Amino acid sequence: MKADLLALALIVGGCTWAFRYLPTRLDLSDQPPAGLRARFLAATGPAAIATLAAASLLPMVSARLAETLPLIAGLMGVVAIFGWRRSVVLATLGGAAIYGVACALV
Amino acid sequence: MADPAPNPSFRSGLLAAVPIAMGYLPIAFSFGVAATRAGLTGAEAFLLSALIYAGASQFLALALIASGAPFLITAFTLAAMNLRHLLYGPALMKRAGPGARRRYAWAWAFGLTDEVFGAALGALARGRVGFSEPFMLGLGSGAYSAWLAGTAAGALAGGGALEGWPVLSAALGFLLPALFLSLLLSILTRTQVPVIAVAGAVTVAATLLVSPTAGILGGMVAGALTGVLGREGRE
Repeated sequence: MKADLLALALIVGGCTWAFRYLPTRLDLSDQPPAGLRARFLAATGPAAIATLAAASLLPMVSARLAETLPLIAGLMGVVAIFGWRRSVVLATLGGAAIYGVACALV
Repeated sequence: MADPAPNPSFRSGLLAAVPIAMGYLPIAFSFGVAATRAGLTGAEAFLLSALIYAGASQFLALALIASGAPFLITAFTLAAMNLRHLLYGPALMKRAGPGARRRYAWAWAFGLTDEVFGAALGALARGRVGFSEPFMLGLGSGAYSAWLAGTAAGALAGGGALEGWPVLSAALGFLLPALFLSLLLSILTRTQVPVIAVAGAVTVAATLLVSPTAGILGGMVAGALTGVLGREGRE
């Protein structure tokens, strides 16, 4: 095992852990619900999930029909299954299955 | 709606981690394959997954190592990619409420990845569970185990392992986008539509014009600021 690779993993892993852990220690109890920071934090979750959805879908968008149709089928599958069963697990697995089958058919 | 389970268990956290684990396995598998192709040993690939545990950073690490980038620049770049995680802890604790325990946050926060954060927030928003540290530990453990198992399998299998299974390969590649879209649907309310629209639009624009990292950071901050401005405007 290379020592510099181990050092790199320890430094980056340590920073990542600090980014994830230290902010959980912030005392938010004195924040009024309508305060700026409280409103910012309440909107952070939906904003983060929307951002990650867009970032993960963007590389899959293509001008070629053969690549776009499975994507549309997969997205519609996720929406339809979630609307039907209200289950994140079923919508995720079902949408992925529809996408895979659509890729094979197109 | 039924009252949320007040103290969801470690096991219920593990169950909530199933879709994340399904998404992590193929990505971590790809990382294991890519790492061994880049000249790392299987143990080194596993070490990167075990210590860094951040997919995008790990793939970028391979590229930077292969390009011979200076050590400090590599470390700084990889750490900077994960700055977005600074927002997750406070947002989660805000949703959890003032009485939420955080005695073992040093442990469960290690696993607070994008997907774990999204799943935890989605579960709280749907009202099916209240916040509990065992639930967070279970959720994080399930996802982390899948990440490590996928990396190990990829490092052992080497390249071309999924070439004979095109449908499965395609379906696995769509799992994470499907998971994020499902999580988005699960927290969708009329109030959040402007937040989601702005976050998505800024992500796409900044990714195309600057870089994927700028897109992710910019989208999150712009969406959160939209939430602040929008609510202020109605008050």
